[in-house]
Amino acid sequence: MSTETFFTNEVIDLDLLPKYEEIQLNRPHPDYWKIICINLSIFFGLLGLGLGSLLLFVDEFKPNAVWIIPVYLALIIIFFLLFRLSFKKRGYAVRTHDVIYKSGIIAESTTIVPLNRIQHIELNEGIFSRIYKLGSLQLFTAGGQSGHIHISGVAIEEAKSIRDLLLKKLELLENPITETEA
Amino acid sequence: MDNDFSKPQRESAFGIIIMGAHTLIKIVKASFFLFIIAFVKMSSTSFIYLIMSILAIILISFVFAYLSYLKFTFFLDKEKQEFVVNKGIFNRDQVIIQLDKIQQVNINQNILQKIIGVYGLKIDTAGAHGEEVSIKAIDETSAYNLKEHLLNSKNVTEVPSETIHEPHKAEEAPFLRISTWTLFKVGLTSNYGQSLALLTAFFYTLIYEGRQLFDAFKINKDEIQNAITGMLTIVTVFILIACLLIVLLIINLVRTFYKYFELEISEHKNTLLLSSGLIAKKNTLISPNKVQITKYSQNYFQKKMNMLNMSLKQAHFGQSKKGHEMQGNTLEIPGCNAGERDELLKMILGKSPLRGKTFIPDWRFLNLPIFFKLILPIVAFLIMAFNIPEVKPYISAAIVYFMAGILMIYISYRRHRISVSQDFIIKTSGIWDISNEIVAPNKIQAITTFQYPWHKGVDVGHLTLHTAAGQIHFKYGNYTAIKQLVNYWLYQVECKNENWM
Repeated sequence: MSTETFFTNEVIDLDLLPKYEEIQLNRPHPDYWKIICINLSIFFGLLGLGLGSLLLFVDEFKPNAVWIIPVYLALIIIFFLLFRLSFKKRGYAVRTHDVIYKSGIIAESTTIVPLNRIQHIELNEGIFSRIYKLGSLQLFTAGGQSGHIHISGVAIEEAKSIRDLLLKKLELLENPITETEA
Repeated sequence: MDNDFSKPQRESAFGIIIMGAHTLIKIVKASFFLFIIAFVKMSSTSFIYLIMSILAIILISFVFAYLSYLKFTFFLDKEKQEFVVNKGIFNRDQVIIQLDKIQQVNINQNILQKIIGVYGLKIDTAGAHGEEVSIKAIDETSAYNLKEHLLNSKNVTEVPSETIHEPHKAEEAPFLRISTWTLFKVGLTSNYGQSLALLTAFFYTLIYEGRQLFDAFKINKDEIQNAITGMLTIVTVFILIACLLIVLLIINLVRTFYKYFELEISEHKNTLLLSSGLIAKKNTLISPNKVQITKYSQNYFQKKMNMLNMSLKQAHFGQSKKGHEMQGNTLEIPGCNAGERDELLKMILGKSPLRGKTFIPDWRFLNLPIFFKLILPIVAFLIMAFNIPEVKPYISAAIVYFMAGILMIYISYRRHRISVSQDFIIKTSGIWDISNEIVAPNKIQAITTFQYPWHKGVDVGHLTLHTAAGQIHFKYGNYTAIKQLVNYWLYQVECKNENWM
């Protein structure tokens, strides 16, 4: 509130404002790629198992093997390439007043959430993430599904410290308001 | 009734009738066709069972209504600034609403409530279900008293300087009133889409239920189909289309009148009071600072008649609600003129929005729509036309489609712009209905920018502003300018720590 009373209406030099696009972004932990690989392998393993048993045991299905196997293999390659690309493109950064997350295979999209707009924070650990000591952090705003950030593949220690940092900041933001309201 | 609602109290005893009727209508609606079928096919001996089951349903719904009346209590917790509702017949539910989280209070009256002489009161927060609390029967003085309490306690928490200005303002004097004639014009010029959807839904249920009836009566469907196709000549098709258009227009008029009859807006202690409705009167109260996006739109006809439609969008989390236009999170105000719009904008936004620096999209804006909406369908159509001789005579339609499409896409490109000043962001868009959406920077929840790799060289990119009431897109802008704007908005949001709700 004190900023309000000292509020002056000077022209702001837009070039002097901190630039979000020049921030050095943190990459996801290298071990996260292993988790992606495990997940993909499980998916394709199950798919392969299903297709394999169909091809082996259903006689009417056998002639289709000519195209099913190449398509299956091509899908594996495409998926691994796409995920590798998307893994490479991801990045995040925590600034004093906001969180930045960049992603996207073709179009690079950057989402910025100001800390004073965060509604709640979620820290998830999957089974495989636990093995590699990784976690995924989700920041929710009131902006609905599209306005939320999901950062996966952060080392759990780092994720926890980010979470604590954000929570501390949220409390700091909340406290002055409740004081003025009371 | 006591005035301060601090003790738990029940709603008016008439609520039993209202609630009973409510459940009854629901049951009847769900099983209407079932009843007809049963009625027709039933032998006379089982007729008595039918009557008895109907009576049983009526009895059960009123017993349930009585039970829920007994268990439904509400009170105002002054200390904690909360409104507490206890309900539930078998399980106990307690709903607690913080007063400063209330977005709007609706006081309604449907036909039954009008006959009995009670009001319904609904409290809307930004939650996922819309109406968190709905009191079905409350007498008029209590309703307005309660409303007063819900809002007065809110004033305490708000900035005290606002209350100083209070006495100078004329209370309850409506500053906007939509006359019957204006409403008639509104009905003629807007909201075709919604009426069309309504009509389609109506025909769909008609056909669907009709089919079930035919099945039930074992009427030969082929005969009817033959009769219908026999009637379809070009002349009858035109007459049919004309009839449909007239029906559409009439439905539109009726809908507009039903919803917005005697629409009045008045300022009432920091809040806006909207009241409207032909048969069921609706009173809605909202506080201006809870409005996230203010939008006004106008089409060619409306411009000539100097009127426009406004809508006030409020925060909604989770899924958007369907079929709750007036009661939901968007409040529509049709048919105000430019002066009234400016006054309303000043009330909601604090000052009249000035257009600042305007940003226009790059011409590449045209590429994707032209490709996907014109070239792709036309190529598909031409391929089809050259292979199927029946379609060949209609090839010239492709040219008409192409010309119309080009024109529309070009207009949408010319209209697509965003104008930024220190206090407001105004996004203009539209082809026929040109809409202006106004957002204050402190309502921004998150910002997304993105760019296709092939646009890197020409410095073109896209912008999405996420607010609690939806998104605002600006496409194909100068990416350097967008990035600069984003930095500026982030600075505005982050340095002030203003409340957005």
